[in-house]
Amino acid sequence: MDIGTAQSVLLSGIVLGSLYALMATGLSLIWTTLGIFNFAHGVFMTIGAFIAWQIGADLGWGMGPAAGIAVAMAALIGLGCLSEFILVRPFLRRPDVVLVAVITTLSAAIFLENSALLVWGGRYKQLPPLIEGKVGMLSTAISTHEVLIIAVAPLTLFALWAFLKFARTGSAIRAVAQNRESALLMGMNVPVLYSLAFGLSAALAGFAGILLGSIRFITPGLGNEPLVKALIVAIFGGLGSLGGTIGAAYVIGLMEAISMFFIGLYWTPAVLFGVMISVLLVRPTGLFGKR
Amino acid sequence: MRDLLTGPNLARLICLLILILLPLVVPSPYIRHLLIITFIYAMVASNWDLSLGYAGVFNFGHIAFFAAGCYGSAILSKTIGITPWLTIPLAGIIGVIAALIVCLPVLRLKGIYVVLVTFAFSQLCFQLVLSQEEITGGSMGMPLLPPLKIGDYNFARDGKFGYYYVGLFLLVLSTIYLHRLVRSRFGTSIVALRDNEDYAISRGISLARQRMLTLGLSAFFTGVAGGFYSTYVRVASPEIFGFGFLSLALSMLLLGGLNSIYGPILGAFVITLLSEAMVDLGPMRFLIISALIILMLLFYPGGLNNALQQAYKWSSRSGAAARLFRTNARN
Amino acid sequence: MAEPILDVREVSVGYGKTQVLWDISLTVPEDQRIGLFGPNGHGKTTLLRTISGLLRPWSGEVHLRGERIDKALPRAIVDRGIVQVPQGNVLFPELTVAENLRLGAYCRRARPRLADNLARVYDLFPRLKERRRQQAKTLSGGERQMLAIGAGLMGEPTMLMLDEPTLGLAPKLKDELLEAIGDIAGSGVPLMLVEQDLEFLLALTDRLYMINHGVVALDLDASESFDHDQIIQMYFGKE
Ligand SMILES: Nc1ncnc2c1ncn2[C@@H]1O[C@H](COP(=O)(O)OP(=O)(O)OP(=O)(O)O)[C@@H](O)[C@H]1O
Ligand SMILES: [Mg+2]
Repeated sequence: MDIGTAQSVLLSGIVLGSLYALMATGLSLIWTTLGIFNFAHGVFMTIGAFIAWQIGADLGWGMGPAAGIAVAMAALIGLGCLSEFILVRPFLRRPDVVLVAVITTLSAAIFLENSALLVWGGRYKQLPPLIEGKVGMLSTAISTHEVLIIAVAPLTLFALWAFLKFARTGSAIRAVAQNRESALLMGMNVPVLYSLAFGLSAALAGFAGILLGSIRFITPGLGNEPLVKALIVAIFGGLGSLGGTIGAAYVIGLMEAISMFFIGLYWTPAVLFGVMISVLLVRPTGLFGKR
Repeated sequence: MRDLLTGPNLARLICLLILILLPLVVPSPYIRHLLIITFIYAMVASNWDLSLGYAGVFNFGHIAFFAAGCYGSAILSKTIGITPWLTIPLAGIIGVIAALIVCLPVLRLKGIYVVLVTFAFSQLCFQLVLSQEEITGGSMGMPLLPPLKIGDYNFARDGKFGYYYVGLFLLVLSTIYLHRLVRSRFGTSIVALRDNEDYAISRGISLARQRMLTLGLSAFFTGVAGGFYSTYVRVASPEIFGFGFLSLALSMLLLGGLNSIYGPILGAFVITLLSEAMVDLGPMRFLIISALIILMLLFYPGGLNNALQQAYKWSSRSGAAARLFRTNARN
Repeated sequence: MAEPILDVREVSVGYGKTQVLWDISLTVPEDQRIGLFGPNGHGKTTLLRTISGLLRPWSGEVHLRGERIDKALPRAIVDRGIVQVPQGNVLFPELTVAENLRLGAYCRRARPRLADNLARVYDLFPRLKERRRQQAKTLSGGERQMLAIGAGLMGEPTMLMLDEPTLGLAPKLKDELLEAIGDIAGSGVPLMLVEQDLEFLLALTDRLYMINHGVVALDLDASESFDHDQIIQMYFGKE
């Protein structure tokens, strides 16, 4: 493997890692605040890409990418809040909420995926890259869009971190996760905070979907494979630690790119699964997990 | 034996009798086809109940065991040329092997991690099936599988008469197997583990061993069902990994009620007929089924079985399904 | 007599099907500090949780300055100034001391005076100031109590309810807390204090209620001289 190939493998690994980081961070945020795992996360991604396409793309309503992204983000925050309201809130006081939420969010995933199929059909669609063209990077050329992904993902995640760390509402979201009763006694509006966490997480997924939508074709199943990857990332990083999740996302992204190159597309899922299992055998709560 | 002919057992025997006589009375091959599919689903759902319901293991890879049976039998019969009479039972063993593979990482895990690993496992199987095109036919699947035959008699003839009875026979076998299993010492021990892990472990029940057994035992008839399925529809296709199949099986389980064996079987009858009635709706069908699952959980978490039990006025046991279902989260 | 600040009228409440409080009535008059004591598990914490709105009474009413609050949400009650410092609590373990305190002023009423109150709390508990960047879970038991009380004060209470603030603390720390709570009480904040330590209660409060089997079994004026042994006997005797 010469330097050029090595670099392009590295770059594509980082692109993948960036997308997984956006996805898995949302999953992890919901896990820490609500203690449930959202299987509809992948389809949120799909919906985000479709809405951005519908509003923004020339074959849709052609209102331009900015409008597309803005509407998609708003819609996903709304969808996230609604999902929390229907899929999680009614069950939150039940002791088996973890299992019930798996079932309700899976059902919602099926529901939304088929809705997307009804609305948009199965035909391939694609978003135009946010920025056209290619740039030389290291010694390979990569599309500007991919450079954008590499840059935007950490910025988004940094903004999320700053929000959770410094904003009043952000610390309240973290607080609710740690001690619900004290949060209530301090006058926090717990249901609203839960909704907000869900909405934020959905927006992150949708954003990842938009970024992915101009690299891959948008189909109703667009989010399924990234969901599984995000799932592996979440397990690998240990659910609940944002830092661990982000780190794990890049590790998995790189691993995937390397394995794609050396072992090929077909066995890569097995390699990732194998790695995940090896990690779990040694550390049952993930590499960086504490629960 | 005295209670063999009382209460629920009597009802079950009557149901069985009706099912045995039905093809003789109702000539429609279409109804027979629906019932064959129902038998298959019933096996999948009721065996899933063993791990998800009784043992409280959050196993979401059950469909992968079915798929393993499906493809295993297809490969053995079509590629290698073994008679389907043998590949169907062998499919059970293949299902068990798949279960043992997924067991490896799951043994030490808790709660949500079990869900994630088992779910990821079934997705992995999906990817492998897609990618190993030479063996599995990739996204096209494996069509034209050899049918069940005795001599020259093809079981699909006479309106699938033969398949109907083979399917019913397998379902009865699987049900007796599950019925005895959950009432055995093993059955009691997995419920004990689910309800109070620490206590059960302190009484010398091994978590890892019981989990492995649970998954393995629940995979056998699931694999058989898979083998029978692909033999019957004569194709092994990757569609079974989709959310559609998963949601159907899940809705049967929830509609029927966990921890009941017979509940999911009943659920399979209701959902298959319902789903078949909606077959013209296309994707709408899955919208309705998934909405139904959520509504069930919202308004009737005990499932049909619970309703039946109340009807039987088993006052001491009624409500148990709902209560047991709730305790699952402790795992 | 002037209208009491808090008026609990014949409240019954419990968890699931088990009733814990049976028609409890008590009042917190203006300028009085109330102490609650009684055997473990007889409903003191349950009473506070009901007042705070975490539990909804099965029957009976709770009034705050003439306004009925037993159907209000916890955050509405906090916004009216009733602040509860829960028992044996670690607040938000992974947040720092300073973050915990700031969140104590989360309710709208307390926000404007956040900075002042923070300075006041650091004054009262200098140790919290030293440890303000530390995660709450790394604090010692005594420091946690200080943090819990401090966070309560950040909420600008017009009535403060402390649930066993000295639980599991060494005598020296108890004295320290005694002094701090005395300061708070002296500053005019009405107080409802749950304690097992009678001496501690007597030093801080004007009126004592003993809660036994979910009813008010004894109602004492702390300034009267009363038979100490009688209380002790009620405490342990008739079980
Ligand atoms: N969340 C709950 N669910 C069910 N029962 C509860 C719950 N919280 C408390 N109880 C029960 O209610 C009764 C009263 O508890 P409570 O905490 O009010 O007692 P307490 O007087 O504060 O005791 P202590 O002095 O030990 O703090 C106890 O029997 C307890 O077991
Ligand atoms: Mg108490």
